[in-house]
Amino acid sequence: MLSSSKSYAYEMLLSELTWAVGEDYVQTGDSDKLGHSIDYYWVPEVWHDRGRQLTPPDFIIQPGSSQEVAAVLKIANNYSIPVTPWGGGSGSQGGALPIRGGIILDMKRMNRVLDIDTVSLSATVEVGINAQHLEWAIEKAGYSTMHFPASIACATLGGFIAHRGTGVLSTKYGKMEDMVMSLEVVTPQGEIINTLPVPRHASGPDLTQLFLGSEGTLGVVTKATIKIHPIPQSRKFHAFLFRTMHDAMLAGSRIMTSRLRPCVIRLYDEPETAKLVKRVLGIDKKGAYLVFGFDGQEKIVDLEMEEACDICSSFDHEDLGAEMGQTWWNNRYKFFYPPYMFHMPQAFGTLDTVATFANIENVYWAMKNVVEQNFPQATFIGHFSHWYEWGCMLYARFIIDNPPADANEAVALYNKIWDMAIRAAIKAGGVINEHHGVGLKLGRIMKDLYGPAFKILQDIKQTLDPNNIMNPGKMGFKG
Amino acid sequence: MNINKYLDVINACRFCFMCRHLSAVGNVTFKEADTPRGRALILDKVRMDNSLIANADYIKTIYDADLSAACRRHCVSHYDENSLLLAARQDIVAAGLAPPSVAALARDLQNVDFQVRGAGEILYYIDTYSQRQMQLVEAFDGIAGNVATISGGDTGKALKILGFVNEAREVAAKFAAAVSTSGARTLVTSCPASYDALKHDFPIDGVTVLHSSEFLLQRGLKAKAATTACYLDSDFLKAYNNMAAPRELLLALGYKLKQFATNDEESFSAGEGAAVYDRVNPKLTAKLCERICDLVDVERDLLITSSPYTLHVLKTFRPQLNIISIEQAACRALEA
Repeated sequence: MLSSSKSYAYEMLLSELTWAVGEDYVQTGDSDKLGHSIDYYWVPEVWHDRGRQLTPPDFIIQPGSSQEVAAVLKIANNYSIPVTPWGGGSGSQGGALPIRGGIILDMKRMNRVLDIDTVSLSATVEVGINAQHLEWAIEKAGYSTMHFPASIACATLGGFIAHRGTGVLSTKYGKMEDMVMSLEVVTPQGEIINTLPVPRHASGPDLTQLFLGSEGTLGVVTKATIKIHPIPQSRKFHAFLFRTMHDAMLAGSRIMTSRLRPCVIRLYDEPETAKLVKRVLGIDKKGAYLVFGFDGQEKIVDLEMEEACDICSSFDHEDLGAEMGQTWWNNRYKFFYPPYMFHMPQAFGTLDTVATFANIENVYWAMKNVVEQNFPQATFIGHFSHWYEWGCMLYARFIIDNPPADANEAVALYNKIWDMAIRAAIKAGGVINEHHGVGLKLGRIMKDLYGPAFKILQDIKQTLDPNNIMNPGKMGFKG
Repeated sequence: MNINKYLDVINACRFCFMCRHLSAVGNVTFKEADTPRGRALILDKVRMDNSLIANADYIKTIYDADLSAACRRHCVSHYDENSLLLAARQDIVAAGLAPPSVAALARDLQNVDFQVRGAGEILYYIDTYSQRQMQLVEAFDGIAGNVATISGGDTGKALKILGFVNEAREVAAKFAAAVSTSGARTLVTSCPASYDALKHDFPIDGVTVLHSSEFLLQRGLKAKAATTACYLDSDFLKAYNNMAAPRELLLALGYKLKQFATNDEESFSAGEGAAVYDRVNPKLTAKLCERICDLVDVERDLLITSSPYTLHVLKTFRPQLNIISIEQAACRALEA
């Protein structure tokens, strides 16, 4: 953070930044600073809610081109000013918070669809584009990104790239690291580079994958070429209710290990079925709700659906039919709108963890037991929402209806739950995390997660960003 | 403070990002502040510390809002951020903090002199934007026949939207008195803001209010225009009143309607929801118009709007744009 906005040094820097991007695209007003002081992370929300002082950026810069991004990074390096890239600001890990002030690089102005390649089925876009706008543009051309996250309306493509985001159809179409073919990146020292144009090669380690998930700590991603897909002829859903979550997990994992290709599977544990599935979908059942879907050519969809239903039918189940599956799809984002989403004064966190099928239930029980035994005031619920050939993601959540009134006490309690739950998950074979990213929230756990391998990440950071200007204080990097 | 009546909205919107893609002004300024979340955060700060209502930057943000209501329409719970913003503007005006340009505009809007011309059951209100585009009025007149007219100022809607609620009521009362003296039982307007005002804010006893598209649709007009056109939705007719009449009329007249831009959900507002946005924010109005024009093939696309405001600002911004009012579209179809 700069010492004072009244200093002449501030004015010198402001002039230089204004020269780089134009006066319409340098914001220093209170309205904009407030909007950039809070993302979707609970900690700044509670800080705001309790009337505490947030840390604002000194400048909000809205670059219009990669060259302008490069110019800003050169200026920032020159003066050792922190730079925090910002997309939609809807990250839940505090990854876009300007915790040391400085420059917020708001990328939303870089929102053009540059090319749609209908031969290779790819699109090259500037990554500041809103994900829903991108999907609409691709749909207009007759295709789809097949990227349908709950945050589609608010997040940018760059945000998803920054933390390896995912959407509800990830089981078939992959996560962001599967969707991206290549990237243009502005390095911390202001050099514009491109990764190789295709994602499968044997030309050394993959630079695209290096920048995916780097959360703005290794540079600024400015353009991406992503895969696009034909609009499927058919997409169908089916839902089952299982007496136990264990049976439902066995059914879901068997669908995957039999190498059927659902586009989505989602399994809600008994408490979440009773609480959220009932409240949001109006399905009032006791047990574990499992929904899955297939898309593509109708004949193949019908065949795969039949096979998946046969697998489910071999367990103790209630067949809820296609309609209750379709209901989930139609309302898949509703969970995240107020008042359905958890909200103040509640304290809540998503203990996003991923593990193999062999470990995932152990991870669930490890976290659940830690939360329930140590924090009786907390409710623990969870669903398994992104499934792969080898395992799945656990979207576990803890909710405290009445956390401490004092912001410091509330955050201390919140962090303690995170520390204990996540460390229990890691011990049980889990990895933090599957798609929310690390940010400020989980940086302290990165060394535990990686062990000695974390030094390699730290060395890469040091090499690319020797002045540590890029998103300092995030992902557990020192400095 | 009036904003305290909307605590549910503040609490719902302050940390919610789910409608930001529809924020017309946010989509041209790319500012976090110009989204429902950004504005709700500001008003939450003001709620906690009332003195912050005097923050000039906050005031500017509140008056930069386009009020298209696309967010309210999209929200699964329909939280009413628009009413929260109108309450905030009312608080700003009550505190004597309206920006000088807004205060001057409010004084101007109070200079009304409503005149009724002609007589009959039907009275056509010529709003201030239609008055500047008489081809629109003539088109309506050509179809409707010689109906009585009333003109002479805004209905009070613009004042209400700017936060001058008492002044708005006074102007609305003058308008109602003039309508009453005409003896008309049906009041037709081409202006969606006026339609909304007379339907919800300042209804007149015994007088039915119709938008011109509803009126023309009721007449059972049929034609075979066979022209492809994009219908540019109106904030007030779509997001505020969920009205299907404009599209139904165009289809009845034989127009082949093409999707404007990429989707039917976004507002693509030019500021109509803020009634006099072009006079409050000419720079932002130009940006909103530019975004719309960027999505149009100026050579090939025919745009039809049911908003005289939108017609005016788009024609002013890009004179070569092929855009006509819904009354002109009806006229063309019937003449074809």
